[in-house]
Amino acid sequence: MHINYVNTIKKNSLGITGILLLFFMSLLAFIAPVLAQYSPVEPSTQTLAFPSASHWLGTNDIGQDIFSRLIYGARTSLLIAAGAGSLTAFIGAFLGISAALAGGICEKIIMRAADILLIIPNMVVIILVAAYLRPGIAALILVIAVFGWQGNARVIRSQALSLKERAHVAAAKAFGAGNLYILFKHIIPDLFPLITTSFIYHARRAVFMEAGLAFLGISDPAVISWGTMLNRALDFSYLNNWYWLIPPGAALSITIVSFTFLGYALEETIDLRLGDKNA
Amino acid sequence: MSAKNLSDYLIAFFIIICLNFLLPRTMPGDPLAAIYGEEALLSLTPELKRDLAAQFGLDKPFFEQFLFYLLSLLKGNLGYSYHYEVPVSELLLRAAPWTMLLIGSALIVSTVLGYVLGLESGWQRGNSADKGLLTGLMFLSGFPDFFVGIILLLLFGVSLGLFPISGALTPYMGLTGWSLIKDVLWHLLLPLTSLVIAEVSAIFLLVRSTAVTVLGEPFILTAKAKGIRKRHIKFRHVGKNSLLPLFTRTGIRVGHMITGALFVEIVFAYPGIGLLIYNSVMARDYPVLQGVFFLVAVAVIVCNLAVDLLYRTIDPRVR
Amino acid sequence: MAKKTIVFFIIFLVMAALVAGCSPGAKNTAPEPTENMPSVYTVADNVGDWGFPAPYSHYLRGPGYIRMSLIFDTLVWKDENGIKGLLAEKWHYDQEQNMYSFSLRKDVRWHDGKKLTAEDIAFTFDFTKRYPYPWCDTSIVEKVEAEDDYTVKIFLKEAYAPFLTNIAGCLPIIPKHIYQNVENPSNFKGTKAVTGTGPFKLLDYNKEHGTYLYEANENYYLGKPRVDRIRFVKVSGQMIPAALQKGTVNAGEIPPEVVSKFQQNFKVLSSGHDWNAKLIFNHNIKPFCEKEFRQAVAYAIDRNRLVKISQRGHALAGSPGMLPPDSFWYAPEIKKYEFNPELSRKMLKKLGCNQQNFEILTTSRFSRDAELIKEDLEKVGLIVSIRSLEDKTLDARIEDWDFQMAINGHGGLNGDPQCFNKFVLGGDFNSVRYRKNEELVAMLEKQLSIMNDERRREVVREIQEVYAAELPALTLYYPNWHWAHDGKVGLYYTPGGVSIGIPVPLNKLAFLEGHNVR
Repeated sequence: MHINYVNTIKKNSLGITGILLLFFMSLLAFIAPVLAQYSPVEPSTQTLAFPSASHWLGTNDIGQDIFSRLIYGARTSLLIAAGAGSLTAFIGAFLGISAALAGGICEKIIMRAADILLIIPNMVVIILVAAYLRPGIAALILVIAVFGWQGNARVIRSQALSLKERAHVAAAKAFGAGNLYILFKHIIPDLFPLITTSFIYHARRAVFMEAGLAFLGISDPAVISWGTMLNRALDFSYLNNWYWLIPPGAALSITIVSFTFLGYALEETIDLRLGDKNA
Repeated sequence: MSAKNLSDYLIAFFIIICLNFLLPRTMPGDPLAAIYGEEALLSLTPELKRDLAAQFGLDKPFFEQFLFYLLSLLKGNLGYSYHYEVPVSELLLRAAPWTMLLIGSALIVSTVLGYVLGLESGWQRGNSADKGLLTGLMFLSGFPDFFVGIILLLLFGVSLGLFPISGALTPYMGLTGWSLIKDVLWHLLLPLTSLVIAEVSAIFLLVRSTAVTVLGEPFILTAKAKGIRKRHIKFRHVGKNSLLPLFTRTGIRVGHMITGALFVEIVFAYPGIGLLIYNSVMARDYPVLQGVFFLVAVAVIVCNLAVDLLYRTIDPRVR
Repeated sequence: MAKKTIVFFIIFLVMAALVAGCSPGAKNTAPEPTENMPSVYTVADNVGDWGFPAPYSHYLRGPGYIRMSLIFDTLVWKDENGIKGLLAEKWHYDQEQNMYSFSLRKDVRWHDGKKLTAEDIAFTFDFTKRYPYPWCDTSIVEKVEAEDDYTVKIFLKEAYAPFLTNIAGCLPIIPKHIYQNVENPSNFKGTKAVTGTGPFKLLDYNKEHGTYLYEANENYYLGKPRVDRIRFVKVSGQMIPAALQKGTVNAGEIPPEVVSKFQQNFKVLSSGHDWNAKLIFNHNIKPFCEKEFRQAVAYAIDRNRLVKISQRGHALAGSPGMLPPDSFWYAPEIKKYEFNPELSRKMLKKLGCNQQNFEILTTSRFSRDAELIKEDLEKVGLIVSIRSLEDKTLDARIEDWDFQMAINGHGGLNGDPQCFNKFVLGGDFNSVRYRKNEELVAMLEKQLSIMNDERRREVVREIQEVYAAELPALTLYYPNWHWAHDGKVGLYYTPGGVSIGIPVPLNKLAFLEGHNVR
């Protein structure tokens, strides 16, 4: 019943690629203090240096080491990915399951809210809110989650509804199991692949949004972000500074791609499993 | 079902209005400064400030202020930009056509391209061509649109010098007729390509998965058994059936596209809604920001609604 | 089948490249002027909008004046060789009566065809009594008399050395028949408002896109301009080099890093150190009203580090006397405030001013400077927060004294040393408006009436010394600026700056036959 992630993803080459890439980025982020030979924020008089042995990716316009900023930027991106991904997945799952189990007016309200939020273009809303509030990391995670749970909640609710009718849940109920017991013993574990997928999907979306807002210049300027790096680098494009532009863009793309691959692989395995059920 | 959905749209619309109303007023400090931007306020005389405060009903209770706001919206008043010294609606009218051109053409190109590739990929599911397309397009989808835009701009605009590097047309060239159209298309090409690259994979994946599903349906087997030509099955049976989900997603995709266009326009200094948002964020020109937000949100909502309504007339199963 | 798909995929990937290859590639450069096409000269500008180019509505910044100066002429004008007559054919100064007499050219017509007469000159000066032209203080003018149609006499209240450059060479002459009925000149816009006598007429101005289009005035009294049209287009700073190389613009400012590359195929012009960034203190409030405090701040700031980091070495560290070292009027012996955090800390301690919170206002242009200054000040115990505003907001807040410290900048340092009066005693945001030191005020007023340059220089040097000791603002650095152009028009940096000292190489006389150096 409960799938073994490692085994199913192992069979999927896209999934393996995704995991490897993500692992690589996380490693970079984790050992950033060891790897970086310079402070990512301290300016120096060596400005706009070309890549060399001392500065692997050169320095930016105020003499900060680009490589240091790149790997510290991974921390920001992954932190936001993990934070916004799990918070969104949690809100979605919580509301979806509550709707399915509680039913009645509660279900109506939640699903109605989800439907309405689905209609509203959330990225545009987030840009507006960010333009006013200039959020730091925590506030950004919150904003992304508040405007992101809707699709997720719908899917989870419908799955939870169908689970409710399934044989083993019905059997448990017949044996007099309480709602909470059923929830934790049967429904949540069964929904777990779905929740994981939504976590991956929203982590990917959060990475993109954080970089996008930073690129627009409407996030906290004190945060080291790939989006800000790209924005700055673009100001110096007359230098033909590919060494400065490509790394943050590539790091961003690799992170997003790793989530994409991972998500796709997970979805395929879930589809297969559900497909088996339906057959 | 129908009435309920319609009210969803109304509520969404209402939420947009509320957000627009509440955000500047919950900011710390002078609400007038938040509504108009600090810069505009400095250029105002104290009398004008008082007039404006009265006009917004800022001295009135909260609820009355909201009514004021609704009333002015009803009159079509989206505010006034003290930065550009024109009504916001005028700025919007000037910028919107460029964004519509960009989004419209990107919608068409990415749909056609995604459809053709998705169908082909789904048809050949599992072989190397399919895998190559799938991996390649998913990889491309990981590139944020502004990064794609920057690369195209630097490669084709700056390094190779093949395309214009900014704007939607060459200003003051006095171009007319065919040469004007050529000029506009020439400026459109790079932003369009960036947007298509960023958007095509979603369509591709959608069409591919529908095609795969349809191919497993019994009627395809029947058709094959009947000896109908493969081309015919591919385009008539599979292709036709993959169109519907593509269509229903249009509303969501327009929302995506607008966001994408925003970033792409900034990179290419393309004078549409996106650049307007960016400039108003930079200049803290809040009336414009609010006006743009209102317009975009309404556009997306209307798009969703239109698709929803059309869908109901096309697909009888929904009724 | 599989092969076909792969091929298809590859075609998709190189789509952009393919389209580029087979499309009309000739379109990517600006069309060369042919016989029947007007020749267009395009100037790139990274800001774009500098206001409607009429005398009372352009922004009070150099580029705003430049855009206006193409349309409106002054009595005299500086070119690369110094002052020459423009509307005035010749002039003389009568010391006895303290009067300038100008003989006007007889062939000058307004853009609407009416003749320019001495009446217009007299009217313009009268108009400035009612509606001061902010860039040109005419309060020194006693009265203006139109003796006949082509002679005008300007009587001054006192001897005034900078009269020719800063009034006769700055005040745009406006048409009486149009402006006499105007009551709110700063709101007067439209075709009529831009009726001048200058070499160009305004065809279009677009505030939103920051573009200007001018058409040559075919009947200009110094001859028809070399180009049929001038347009100003907005191009972001980092894209100007590419736009120049593609040939879509003829001239524009380039970043210092590409100067040597551009010297091969373009003409590169380098500015003097005419412009300065400065840290302005609100000397009306505590603790900034104490000069020891201001001095302590000056010791705390490492101006050389600012130059090296924020300007990447392409600037000259500021002199506390405001005037740059390459100025004729520069005083080398003034107090330098060499970087000395130790001394600064001691001074602050004595004042009891450490551990206070301050706010520095600035714009995004100086955000790097602000960050570095913040670091420096925090090292001596002053806690600083930075607030970045939009350009015009910052100007307005400085003008209203609504700040503690601010970083802003202005040009005009290489013109007549009257600039010192403008930036110390003047009333706008570029001025520190500092009258607390009577000696300084007296010397500033005195220097204007000294007609002998050597003697005047002595006084100006003393002024710098006192200014450096009082330090109402600290000059941080003078950036090096560079323009590149394709040589189609022989642009030049006007010695002493255009008009009252604008460090922009767009002198309108460069666009006229016989007035250009290639």
